[in-house]
Amino acid sequence: MILRKIFLPVILIILAYGFWISPDFKEISAGVAIFLFGMLSLEEGFKAFSGGVLERILKKSTDSTTKSIGFGVLATTVMQSSSLVSVLTISFLGAGLIGLAQGIGIVFGANIGTTTGAWLVAGFGLKVKISAYAMPMLVFGVILIFQKSKSLKGVGYILAGLGFLFLGIHYMKDGFEAFKDTIDLASFGGTGLKYLFIFTGIGIFATVVMQSSHATLVLIITALSVGQISYENALALAIGANVGTTITAIIGAMSSNIVGKRLAGAHLIFNVTTGLIAIIFMGQIMYSVDIVSAFVGISADDWTLKLAVFHTIFNIIGVVVMIPFINKLVVFLESTLKDTKDIGDKNIEHTKYLNDSVLELPGTSMAAIIRETKHLYENAFEIISHGLNIKRSNILSSMDLKDVIKEQYSNNSVDIDDFYNRKIKGIYGEIIDFSTKAQSEMTPEYIQELYKIKLANRDIVEAVKDTKHLQKNMIKYSISSNEYIKEQYNNIRIDLAELLRNIDILSKTTQEDEIILLLSKVKLHAQKYDIIANGTLDNLIRNSLITNEMATSLMNDSTYAFDISKNLIAMSEIIFIDRSGDINNLGNDMIMDDDDIDSILKKDN
Amino acid sequence: MGIAKFIESVKETLGLYEFKKSSKKKSVKNLLKKLNSKKDKITKLIKKDKKQKELQEELDIVNLQIKKGEKILAKLVTNK
Repeated sequence: MILRKIFLPVILIILAYGFWISPDFKEISAGVAIFLFGMLSLEEGFKAFSGGVLERILKKSTDSTTKSIGFGVLATTVMQSSSLVSVLTISFLGAGLIGLAQGIGIVFGANIGTTTGAWLVAGFGLKVKISAYAMPMLVFGVILIFQKSKSLKGVGYILAGLGFLFLGIHYMKDGFEAFKDTIDLASFGGTGLKYLFIFTGIGIFATVVMQSSHATLVLIITALSVGQISYENALALAIGANVGTTITAIIGAMSSNIVGKRLAGAHLIFNVTTGLIAIIFMGQIMYSVDIVSAFVGISADDWTLKLAVFHTIFNIIGVVVMIPFINKLVVFLESTLKDTKDIGDKNIEHTKYLNDSVLELPGTSMAAIIRETKHLYENAFEIISHGLNIKRSNILSSMDLKDVIKEQYSNNSVDIDDFYNRKIKGIYGEIIDFSTKAQSEMTPEYIQELYKIKLANRDIVEAVKDTKHLQKNMIKYSISSNEYIKEQYNNIRIDLAELLRNIDILSKTTQEDEIILLLSKVKLHAQKYDIIANGTLDNLIRNSLITNEMATSLMNDSTYAFDISKNLIAMSEIIFIDRSGDINNLGNDMIMDDDDIDSILKKDN
Repeated sequence: MGIAKFIESVKETLGLYEFKKSSKKKSVKNLLKKLNSKKDKITKLIKKDKKQKELQEELDIVNLQIKKGEKILAKLVTNK
């Protein structure tokens, strides 16, 4: 912090002094500033599309490490910002949508993707008068930024971003060309190991100051194009830029959550290793650059394009070398960087997937909230099954339900209040708190969806609370000497165990006909086995098979059981239906309503 | 013309509203196909006399869902 306080004024003073003594330096710096502003604008533009499209693509393209690397390459090539790809990756990791291995894969891919920037600038930016494209882009971009539509605004930011990038490159190029007439920077350079380390250090420093390896690289390429630095020194600077960008990532990760820190750790290890490889094998890599350049038709003195080739080759080598170690890297990072939430109060469970880094991305926050709701349900499942004195593993097995209730979880009653305080209350509170924060970034459609998810959370909590009420008499009567009351309470246990089993199957299946069937079945059974509605209770009272006290308890408890079923079914309809599938597309049209249930029940009678 | 109106007219010209309707139609058709094959499967099992009561209940549900689906499809076709 103190270092930062000193660092900023020093940089500002150096810049001010530089502007005072050299107008060319001012032009180059202005070029860098405009370029960086362009990158910010570009990131803002792509964020506008992160409400769904980006998330969907990311989700589908990262189910394996190879795909993740491919996604990293492609996304960074398109968006020309590895930092935006990193932000998205941290969000997805935080939301639990991808694992750390996939996240690392994306970061590796982003390192290759970012090399396309060098190709664009060296191959296109310096050979065409790109400032001619910049002006119309800026005009169209700014007009679109002022539009109300989110998509148009996004396109506007992207256009303006590209415009500023081009303009920035133009100023940098002009500045270096003019600079050449006054000072020959190349005279400060040299060859050999000493200069290799010096220029790598300068590359690191420049990237830390500019907070962008992309900007450093463009600066290197423009300086190289006008001969202000030598080819060898430019290569060392490029290595430095690669290492320097991880320092930016680490500074960013300091305020991030644990997944962000782990990913920054992976980034650092990867880039430092790649940098070391490049330094150690500099001669060999330079030789391979010459071969590749000759092969693709790049002339021997086209230093800027050769720099782009070098940048790509050394990043690809890094990825190839590191791929076999991804899983070891995951284990290392997870054991070294531990979640502070876990270190705190070990008895109280916290949310697993919610973190503030995803708040800006509505689609991702929604996915994180759904995941967390499923986590809350898993805990509720544990409490409900223990409240019914049934083993969870038996419910999840294919064991006959009559046998399931025979095997008891414990001889003593489970303290549901304690379970609730440890495994439900905290998570539920955090979900609601996070949802409220996420809502401020969401469109009305998302807010409507979020409202349903909040209801699902409430349903889970209600089901747990009802289990607590149900438990009191459950233990007493399920071992009663009165066979009738015992049978009724055991039936309640069977019905709820069946419901939990069906919800479990429902949560795992992707077959939509199966989902519809299961949802309908659980709804039907909740009504069918409601002993107040089906006349069982009346029959028991009328024939004096149970005492009045038993009848009152049974009536209350069957209501609790019915409410548990109702709440859990309502929750399943919201949480366990695939949001991209056909059922979701049809809304509630295919879900069974009360009239449908009545028609089947009438048929049964 | 305001930008919102412009977008609306573009949507109309490109038939994007129709697209939404046809994708709903496609979804119903997909589901009906799956439900019908499920129905055939259950009917075959009933004939083999396995877990009669449970299977009959499943068949009732599937029949009801097919009816519901056909109703939605008919509505979508007539509204075209």
